[in-house]
Amino acid sequence: MSVQSTLLEDIASLWSDATLSIGQETDGRIRIDVRGDPTGLCEWLVKDRSFRFGGMAVREETDRWQLGYLFYSHDHGGGWVEITLRAPREQTSFPSISSRVHAADWQEREAEDHFGIHFTGHPRLGDFVLHDEEWGEGVAPMRRDFDGLRTQVERHPDPDWHPRRILHTQGSFAMTVGPIHGGIAEPAHFLLETVGEDVVRAYPRLFFKYRAVEKMAEGKPVLDALLLAERFNATQAFAHSFAFCHAVEKIAGAEVPPRAQALRVAFLELERLRSHVGAIRGICGSTALAVAESHAAILEEQLLRLSGSFCGHRYLFALNTPGGLSRDFTDEACRSLVDRLGGLDISLGDLDKTLSRSSSFLDRLEEVGMVTHQQSLDHGLVGPVARASGLVCDLRAAHPYSGYERYHMEIPEESDGDGYARLRVLFFEAQQSVRLIRQAMTGLPGGSVKADVPLSARGSAVGWVEAACGASIQWLWLDRQGRVERLRIIPPSFVNWHGFHLAAEGFAFQDFPIILATFALSVAENDR
Amino acid sequence: MTLAEELFIAFFVVLAAGALFTLILPRRHVPALIAVFGATAAALLLAVGGLVLFGQGVDLTLWSLPWLGSLHVTIDSLSALFLIVAALVFLPVSIFSAGYARRYDQTYSLAAMGLQYHALFASIALLISTDSVILFLLAWESMTILCYLLVAFEHEREQARSAAYLFLVMAELGTAAVAVAFILLSRAAPSLDFAGIRVSALQLGAGARWAVFLLSFFGFGVKAGLVPLNTWLPRAHPAAPANVSAILSSVVLNMGVYGILRINADLLPPGTVLPGIIAMGIGVISALVGILYATTSNDLKTMLAHSSIENIGIVATGFGAAFIFRASGVPALAAILLVAALYHMTNHSIYKSLLFMAAGSIDDSIGTRDLDRLGGLAKWMPVTSVFFLVGALSISAIPPFNGFVSEWLTFQGLLRAAELAGRAVKIAFVLAGVGLALTAALAITCFIKAVGMGFLGTPRTPGVRKARERTALTVFSLGLPAVLCLALGILPTYVLPILDRAAVPVVSQMPATDQLVPPFFSGSPAHNELPSGFVAEFHDIGAQTGQSILPGRGLVLMHRGGSDQHVVFAMSPSYSILLLVILLGATYFVVRVATRKRSVRRAARWDGGLHRLLPEMTYTATGFSNPVRVIFRAILQPRVTPDVHETVATHFRSAIRREYDEVHLMNRILIDPVAAAARWISDLLARIHNGRINSYAGYMLLTLAVFVLVAWVTS
Amino acid sequence: MTGLFVRGVLNGIRTTRFPRGPEGELGTFCGLPVATRFGTSAEAERFARLCPTGALTAGGERVEVDVRKCIACHRCAPQPGQQGSGMRWADGYERPLKVQRPGAPAAASSRKPFRRSLNILVVDAGDCGACLNEVRQLNNPYYNMHRLGFFITPTPRNADLLLVVGPVTDAMRHPLLAAWEAMPEPKGVAAVGACALSGSVFGPSFTCGTGVCDILPVDIEVPGSPPSPLAILHALLLLAGRPVPAMQGDGETNDPR
Repeated sequence: MSVQSTLLEDIASLWSDATLSIGQETDGRIRIDVRGDPTGLCEWLVKDRSFRFGGMAVREETDRWQLGYLFYSHDHGGGWVEITLRAPREQTSFPSISSRVHAADWQEREAEDHFGIHFTGHPRLGDFVLHDEEWGEGVAPMRRDFDGLRTQVERHPDPDWHPRRILHTQGSFAMTVGPIHGGIAEPAHFLLETVGEDVVRAYPRLFFKYRAVEKMAEGKPVLDALLLAERFNATQAFAHSFAFCHAVEKIAGAEVPPRAQALRVAFLELERLRSHVGAIRGICGSTALAVAESHAAILEEQLLRLSGSFCGHRYLFALNTPGGLSRDFTDEACRSLVDRLGGLDISLGDLDKTLSRSSSFLDRLEEVGMVTHQQSLDHGLVGPVARASGLVCDLRAAHPYSGYERYHMEIPEESDGDGYARLRVLFFEAQQSVRLIRQAMTGLPGGSVKADVPLSARGSAVGWVEAACGASIQWLWLDRQGRVERLRIIPPSFVNWHGFHLAAEGFAFQDFPIILATFALSVAENDR
Repeated sequence: MTLAEELFIAFFVVLAAGALFTLILPRRHVPALIAVFGATAAALLLAVGGLVLFGQGVDLTLWSLPWLGSLHVTIDSLSALFLIVAALVFLPVSIFSAGYARRYDQTYSLAAMGLQYHALFASIALLISTDSVILFLLAWESMTILCYLLVAFEHEREQARSAAYLFLVMAELGTAAVAVAFILLSRAAPSLDFAGIRVSALQLGAGARWAVFLLSFFGFGVKAGLVPLNTWLPRAHPAAPANVSAILSSVVLNMGVYGILRINADLLPPGTVLPGIIAMGIGVISALVGILYATTSNDLKTMLAHSSIENIGIVATGFGAAFIFRASGVPALAAILLVAALYHMTNHSIYKSLLFMAAGSIDDSIGTRDLDRLGGLAKWMPVTSVFFLVGALSISAIPPFNGFVSEWLTFQGLLRAAELAGRAVKIAFVLAGVGLALTAALAITCFIKAVGMGFLGTPRTPGVRKARERTALTVFSLGLPAVLCLALGILPTYVLPILDRAAVPVVSQMPATDQLVPPFFSGSPAHNELPSGFVAEFHDIGAQTGQSILPGRGLVLMHRGGSDQHVVFAMSPSYSILLLVILLGATYFVVRVATRKRSVRRAARWDGGLHRLLPEMTYTATGFSNPVRVIFRAILQPRVTPDVHETVATHFRSAIRREYDEVHLMNRILIDPVAAAARWISDLLARIHNGRINSYAGYMLLTLAVFVLVAWVTS
Repeated sequence: MTGLFVRGVLNGIRTTRFPRGPEGELGTFCGLPVATRFGTSAEAERFARLCPTGALTAGGERVEVDVRKCIACHRCAPQPGQQGSGMRWADGYERPLKVQRPGAPAAASSRKPFRRSLNILVVDAGDCGACLNEVRQLNNPYYNMHRLGFFITPTPRNADLLLVVGPVTDAMRHPLLAAWEAMPEPKGVAAVGACALSGSVFGPSFTCGTGVCDILPVDIEVPGSPPSPLAILHALLLLAGRPVPAMQGDGETNDPR
């Protein structure tokens, strides 16, 4: 806690004229109310104190706006910091912090499309979540007066939409990929500005799968909102439902029983393992190394069957509930799970060795899709992508939850930042997941798997989890009846898609699908 | 006077009349005048050439001067061929000028164009037909000057002026070399004409022979567009008006070839193989360099100009190989290769004039020649697109068009290097073959880019939609060479004897037709000399088809080997086109019958599900040719400055600017260093002119002292 | 290179016997609830109201299941520790439903062109990722749909079948229709997953629909959240007019897990 108290003292002394009040919320995060421009304080937190920008949440209250900027410390002990900016409802322009804290870039664009508020100093607002050729400008779906359930919305699409091209040279053009592209791929529209061989600038247009989950959750009771939080990205269903439950439990002040904590850790790692194996499969498939891809596919199917037979659903749906898990598992079942995972672990190790000896495979990955450490830092990247560039930050170690502090865990450190480094991180974390599951399920504590959580408490909390793609944050406000007042989801894919163009630029077209595969991002997770 | 001589004089009269009318009539009539008089003159010249080839002689004395001898015009068969080719180009280009030249009505002097055009035609005809050295050089020089004037026609444009000046400098260098070569040749000659030189040439020593070869080859090579002094070509052709570009690349380049052949195949054939190897090597390098720059150019006319360099390079490879065979004592193969070279030269003239005219038509219609800004022209200029496609297929050597036959013959000739003795020579042939193969591949890439990016797809700029076909006359002028391309491609067995008539009396020692076109038709005179088994083998596959209708020896083109292997390769473009037409027709018929009950639904092209596929999302010509640019980076050596990233508010990029600059290989290796050295020397010498009277007085004193000294020493 | 070859040989053949025989390994499918009779109509009513998507309708003492809306949240399943009361579970994979459209040819002969091979274009119209991942598993060594003549094609020009997952978000409406337009006849549509059949928890809203049938003429529906790969294979076999296996384990169990 001393790190936090030092921080509080420094803020009080250095930023006294910018801050209105400093306090602490019930879930432990420090809250600083600022006036005017929060840019300086945000930049100081990120650059001076090595905090990481988690996300931004805009809330529209009856008489005012509340903009919350969330930060978390890079290492253990620093905790979470929220910087809040309040403004009257008539105000429609806010200062942009993206030129200083570039990780906020997409958050501000999203807020502009969601709420129709403007961020002065941000040069790229518009045409982000709601595409101009479908919606045009002027629609703000997250506003209170916008009825999310109605199906006919007045809109002014722009028939003359042109992509914003920035490459100026003889013969440049913007090669288009998508939205329907590839064999079995999620929809995304890429505009690759090029002169013919190399991608000079990659411009992804996402949000084709925008389902307005944050809007749909408003006004719903907690259990119904849990379904939305779980299902918006089903390949990380357990992780996201955990983050939601984490927030609810914090608001209610509930203690999760140790058996539930250990089982949750096991499931989180099982999901991470399956997700990483799927990502490895994707990388092998993108380089057309069929034998390796089949090997990884075998592992993935085995993990899916393992999950299905163990808990009744291949993707671990409907397991998390506020207070713990929705059902219990016998100790023998857990032991047999660990045994079967041992065999899978050896098979995964074999795949790792085989791939490291295939020079034609490594040629496609080494020094391809480079993201430097500084770029990762500037863009606020998270997860295996960031760790491959030397940005070692893992929420399981820095802000442990669900009992992670009890287990022995290593964070992979790679600094190459290329596709092969990302692959190595995936293998390391996958094999570590097996070890974590073994630690969690060996010597499972007895007791119940669910604590009683009163679901009608009012309050706000931040729930987080280190999902397979990186840090996933869910910021929840509940009203007096225990219904969701505002749910802000900041998934890791959203953060990492922001930095994807750094890897794709400067490499040939043929490398593009491979770079995409090594990032292993989810469009469903980004689009919500 | 024979009919040919009368027509020849009529030719000059028509041109003179045309020039006169150009001066008299108001300038807006000039395009029509060029068309009428130019086309008439071309027709006359065509007749002259044909008559000479088929026996009539032309032998005129223009005037006699006491101390220089008489100035004589003699058209032999080689000249007749070049006259025919020139006429075949001038005819459609003159008609094309009727429509095209009108764009200069208000801006530049059309009278000047008319005068220069007619004069150029006359000087070219004179150049080809004279056998007097003085007249040759006079005509050569006047052709150069007239070309300079025509290239600088749009004299308000800096680009045209500088291109013309560069052309003039290089052409004069070439002329100087050629003049020295003629001087060396005529020193011992009894008379200052080709007949005299032919007699005395054999007495020249080895050193003089080498000097003559090198000077004539490189001197004429400047005009022909051979490496290394060909950098004027890609600058002059785009700068000149389209009709002038067509003439430049289709006729003037041939003059260089004519000069080389006249001296090195007629007057003083080389006795060793080394000159031939040099010629072949220069040819291959020109071809490679030319096509490489053509593939990476995006301006339509620059691309065509580089492509001309490539084609003349192939011609040079052909006759270089012919020189080697002749010097090695294999005249049969020399004949084949020489005929192949002449065939290719003819073909090049036809399809290049077609392509340049089409490019001019497009430029006139839209205002831009930049392939990156065109696209979709097939929709708005369908006829021009079809003719451009014909030209592109011909230049890419795709059957059934003419380019295929001449390149095939060249390759077949090169393959016969096995019959030569020395190892070095054989290696040279192998390298030449490989180089030509690479050239052919790049040529196809280049023209796929041109046709695909320029004529297919979506317009990259809105201005393209305003393109319209020009007048019917323009379309006719494009159609004529297109038909010729097809004809020369499907009837090679009729063209080869004509080329033989041109080559044999002058430069070949034996006809190539005998080795390439066996007399399959029973009616032809040599039919009975063929072994009956040979004929029977080909009878089954229809070599005799059409014998009752068609004259000549047959329709099969065959590469006959030595005694151990009778047939190396056989093909028949004539039969192929017939088969192609039948197959296509049958396929069409079958498809129509089989699908007559099916309904056809037309749907938009699939673009991934976008609302609109915008033109900026489709490939550009630069993008298409970028891989070639990347692969040949070491040769092209582009000066790529690092990208300039402009950002707004840190991290947000607002622009990425990339500049790409290339210096032509020849400039880099040869011309720029030489020019730099020349400038350095002249700077040094310029210091002498320091403007001080005292120094000049000192120079005079110095000169006087030197003279006194010399006189004292030598007395 | 030899390492990869040896690796491939050592991995062996793992392809399932399906459809020639049943697939018995656990975890391959997880089933859906079936119509259940309860003791009292109040109990039936109580269980019917548990469903967040309205898939359960109580009629007296019997609760009917609309599988098109079931999202496998297991809230209606018997909870351990309770009396064991809850909806009964099917012991088999999710049964695909063929859609009969008035006027559309129903006979299998209309599917003759697809009998030997079927080219599938997969369009993700807002899917959560689970259904798409199950489609991805269709060509892993266990299911290997290539042996059955089913292929994935990236372009609609070659496609016979448009396989749609997801509730059709607003932004994917145009691309989906464009893909359908670009496919040549004969063609069909398969809607896979609860989202594609009914919108599940996401629709209807201003940006999300209630399934593919609102937009395209669906030929076959595969319920489940997500449906197991076997269910999708079953649907493809139905569409191709090939013999389909009898639904394995048409009996039902009480305990879904």
